[in-house]
Amino acid sequence: MHRLLDVGLEQLTVMVYRMGEVAEKVIDVSIRGYMNGEDATAVVHELSDILATMTVEIENKAFELIVKYQPVASDLRIINSYMKIAYDFERYGRYAWDISFTHKKLAGLDKCAGSSDLMQKLAGRVLEMVSKSVDALKQNDGEIARSLAGVEKEADELYFAYLDELAEATVQNKCAMCNLLVSRFLERIADHTTYVGESIVYIVSGEKLSLR
Amino acid sequence: MPVGADHQGDIIMPNMKMESIELSAWFGTKQALKDINISVKTNAVTAIIGPSGCGKSTFLRTLNRMHELVPGAKTTGQVLLDGKNIYAPEVDPVMVRRRVGMVFQKPNPFPTMSIYDNVAAGLKLTGARKGQDLDEIVRKSLQQATLWDEVKDDLKKPGTSISGGQQQRLCIARAIALQPEVILMDEPCSALDPIATSKIEELIVSLKSDYTVVIVTHNMQQAARVSDLTAFMYLGQLVEFGETTSVFENPKSELTEKYITGQFG
Repeated sequence: MHRLLDVGLEQLTVMVYRMGEVAEKVIDVSIRGYMNGEDATAVVHELSDILATMTVEIENKAFELIVKYQPVASDLRIINSYMKIAYDFERYGRYAWDISFTHKKLAGLDKCAGSSDLMQKLAGRVLEMVSKSVDALKQNDGEIARSLAGVEKEADELYFAYLDELAEATVQNKCAMCNLLVSRFLERIADHTTYVGESIVYIVSGEKLSLR
Repeated sequence: MPVGADHQGDIIMPNMKMESIELSAWFGTKQALKDINISVKTNAVTAIIGPSGCGKSTFLRTLNRMHELVPGAKTTGQVLLDGKNIYAPEVDPVMVRRRVGMVFQKPNPFPTMSIYDNVAAGLKLTGARKGQDLDEIVRKSLQQATLWDEVKDDLKKPGTSISGGQQQRLCIARAIALQPEVILMDEPCSALDPIATSKIEELIVSLKSDYTVVIVTHNMQQAARVSDLTAFMYLGQLVEFGETTSVFENPKSELTEKYITGQFG
């Protein structure tokens, strides 16, 4: 039985999937720019702005569906979760911008990631997590979402290990400053991927859990 | 296995006002209810939802022995009121109906009676109260039904002279006047406009501090708004029973999910 609400839910789903694609791209451009010593600020800025606009559009659509149809059960869980996921994707964009800006401003676009094995690993883990979070969304897959918990633990360990490395270093330079901030941004992105994962588990099973 | 049988009996409540145990009901040879087990919590609102013909109104009428008034109707199983079976041979059904009042779908004030007499009718019939005491009960009942301020200067006017929403609150006042312990409501807002519905819903929520309320409704948003517990029935069986928020946020049964999201019904 096709319901009026289904049309709106399909529209909302397409909007969130598109936002996921943009969110994945902005992180990819930003992190690869940082790792390769390239200026990604212009592209990242543009994509980040697009994500901010998409968040508002998704919120508006979600409110429209709530007002019109008073959704319950899985319909309500989807709408509520999509609003939260849209916010998380917006944060991906914001942190991507922070990384690109910091890399340009503090490190002058040097290949700072190359100076630390830990930073390269952390960046790699975060790319993996962002990709997984978008896959879990598109496939509506609670198992992929749950698997984020293990990678997030690794990302946290790498972040703290890098802080230890930095604390023990005798000479600090502009890359150290850049990496310090970038590591923090990467750690926050990793956190947001788990929030996305938590929302997907909630959509699929109704279970409210913490993946951190 | 009965529909959704695995979800029955999820709730164990120490403060139960009523409980149906293996309750079945028939109209002649047609079985309308099949082994219903529901616990009705004291001072709470329990909503019964389900598609037309699922047996929700029949279930409501078994709770105060009104079902047996239909020719050919039959009931098996038990309904406990404060732990005692209301279908036990020694129990007077009139006394049951006094303890378990009923408000119907359409407002049905007695057409030849005044507002005052409508509220006092039950008391007069049972000879329970007289004189000043009666005035006091009528006033309190109308106040509890949030109608007093609107009709206090018109008590002698016919009960049918007020609006539909006011008439329904008058019927609730009439039920309250008999000081029941449980109030059953069978789609009490189905004939009312949104404003009148809103007032009845507010009233239902306020009534639970003094009474136990069971409401049958077709309006799922209404069930979500006013009830603490919700039971979903289908084809005469109880499919799911639980905390209202839980039923409407994350129903356990796929059948419940499909019904409340409007995928069938």
